[in-house]
Amino acid sequence: MSMVFAPCLTETAAPTTHAEPAWSPYDNNGGTCVAIAGEDYCVIAADTRMSTGFSILTRNYSKIHQITEKSVLASSGFQADIRALQKNLDARHQIYQHQHNKQMSCPAMAQLLSNTLYYKRFFPYYAFNVLGGLDNEGRGCVYSYDAVGSYERSGYSSQGTGMQLIMPVLDNQLKSASPLVLPLQKSTTPLSEFEAVDLVKDTFASAAERDIYTGDAVEIVIINREGVRRELMDLKRD
Amino acid sequence: MEIDEHIGCAMSGLTADARTLVEHGRVETQNHRFSYNEPMSVESTTQALCDLALRFGEGDEESMSRPFGVSLLIAGHDDNGPCLYHTDPSGTFWQCNAKAIGSGSEGADTALQEHYDLNMTLEEAETLALSTLKQVMEEKVTSSNVDIAKVAPTYHLYTPQEVEAVIQRL
Repeated sequence: MSMVFAPCLTETAAPTTHAEPAWSPYDNNGGTCVAIAGEDYCVIAADTRMSTGFSILTRNYSKIHQITEKSVLASSGFQADIRALQKNLDARHQIYQHQHNKQMSCPAMAQLLSNTLYYKRFFPYYAFNVLGGLDNEGRGCVYSYDAVGSYERSGYSSQGTGMQLIMPVLDNQLKSASPLVLPLQKSTTPLSEFEAVDLVKDTFASAAERDIYTGDAVEIVIINREGVRRELMDLKRD
Repeated sequence: MEIDEHIGCAMSGLTADARTLVEHGRVETQNHRFSYNEPMSVESTTQALCDLALRFGEGDEESMSRPFGVSLLIAGHDDNGPCLYHTDPSGTFWQCNAKAIGSGSEGADTALQEHYDLNMTLEEAETLALSTLKQVMEEKVTSSNVDIAKVAPTYHLYTPQEVEAVIQRL
């Protein structure tokens, strides 16, 4: 899959289109990411398949990156851009630690990620991000982004090629009141950590059935009060 | 003057110079809120002001050829609770529980040292501050020649009525 910039045609007489570019700076390496926020935990998961076009590049690539003690970034899209974005955020976090003598909180990292993405508004990072972690009160938080930094905190989210298969299932299982309803309701799910991890495994197994870019294995990262732990579950390899 | 919702400062010396520092502090704290969606810590704000004091200003054109001739007392409230910092033209800063700056500062500092207690209430602190000021001021303390501000936990400059109320308690 290659992303092509299409011109916007405003005139009605003899519209001109410029020739299809022979080369695109972007590529989509596929894959899906999911995150679910709980009362005192956060689950972030992504499959480990990296592809290009109809081929698989590797079955064992991690899309998940831990930036701070309490925030984990999962991104699907163009992995080269994603790697550059991760390094950028790491550097910014180090500087923050030196200047302010503390780690960045997850909401602070969420804002930083948004600004970093918007900074490249006119040549975006081809990255579809989900940031998960614990906020200052220890509650789970999930932030999902578009390619240019628009973001929203929610109770759960998914991004990537399998997003449209997974999101409706999460909506059905985890839906909470809209953040626009007053008084503001908590968006974290009442599910236990174990149940949330189980739900994630089920959704990935389902997505891997129909989405050709999702499969091989799913890496699941769980952050809670005690720290960070990882699980790996195999998926269909076809 | 207010630097951010949770930080205020008092100045002594060439107060015209102080305005540049306060403006810089305001810009820095707002930049921080923009980048990180959180209030900037008081120590970091103080550090930012001291960085400016050290460089005699910023950039090629706006930088001065002399130090900022002003000491500041930065008072604020952040994750570590309420705190107070004292800066001087060299760009050094110290954290204090109580401090006086200005022409009458020596006498005032001694008075503060005697009467300050870590567990004071806000009212006791108001009274202490104003009575210390009264000791070193030549004129009588009135609501029109004294300003009081507090950060508890947000910045608030007292109205003349509120100042009058504190004066009554002296």
